[in-house]
Amino acid sequence: MITQMHVKGLMFDPYNNAYIVVLRDEEHADMLPIWVGKSEAGAISMSLENVTPPRPMTHDFMKSFLDAYNAKVISVVITDLSEHTFFAKVHLMYEDSEYTVDARPSDAIALALRSNAPVFANNSVLTKQSSEELEQWLENLKPEDFGKLDS
Amino acid sequence: MSIADLPKEQDLVEYKVDRILEEANTDTRIVVLARQDSALDTFPIWVGAAEGNAIKLALDTMITPRPMSHDLVKSFAEHLNITIQRVVIADVKSSTYYAMVHVSNKGLERTIDARPSDAISLALRAPCPIYITQDVLKRRSTTNLDAWLAKLDSKNIGTPEVQET
Repeated sequence: MITQMHVKGLMFDPYNNAYIVVLRDEEHADMLPIWVGKSEAGAISMSLENVTPPRPMTHDFMKSFLDAYNAKVISVVITDLSEHTFFAKVHLMYEDSEYTVDARPSDAIALALRSNAPVFANNSVLTKQSSEELEQWLENLKPEDFGKLDS
Repeated sequence: MSIADLPKEQDLVEYKVDRILEEANTDTRIVVLARQDSALDTFPIWVGAAEGNAIKLALDTMITPRPMSHDLVKSFAEHLNITIQRVVIADVKSSTYYAMVHVSNKGLERTIDARPSDAISLALRAPCPIYITQDVLKRRSTTNLDAWLAKLDSKNIGTPEVQET
């Protein structure tokens, strides 16, 4: 079972000097925080804010690469969480065949946002995350961070 | 098959990535390309820190536990049977280099606009050769000088070293 998630925004995590991509499902029942590096966060934030850079950034190039042969990103799925590392898959459609490619969630999400493709999470990840990561996440949150979650 | 304004083969000079330099106190790296035929010529390109690190990982043939962005592009190519043929640094405008990634699939050739950092990062992973056009080589000396001067200007000259109170 998979659940469609929406990219709600990005937060800075000063304790780990990293960024958190916050995914939420439609009913706001589940939240999935994913830690990503600075440049990966930049790639996601440019899409969220509809910024068109003067030169193609890495994920713009990635999309051009697929566009060159009319390959389409049909969806990305956050598939697994293992030892604090999230795993994702990019599903491509090319010449009537579907391809599944292993990726980091940050690349998958940055590409999905540029391709208008939906982002899903395996329900097992949502369940796992609540026990494995949420505790750490809550510990790191400061009261002023909460306001940024709902845009 | 070839498009008229694409650089011709005899206009291309092959380079390899020689090393990545860190520029002190800035968030930039310098990718130093060196001529493949061992003629003494180097060609520096300024890139961001993240882009420089992506190139360094490939240059050091580091295997990361998870695929980095350019590994993912390579993986797309492998899944879809796209051959990454070569990358060409094909233009320079206002101290910015422009690169093209040449790909082919079942005889269909395409060129994709890219920043040199993405092109080089992908070239090292593909692997495929890196070329610079004669035209860019001719025009680069002043461009580099301008870039150096611009950096000097903003870092050293522009900021007063001593501030009187």
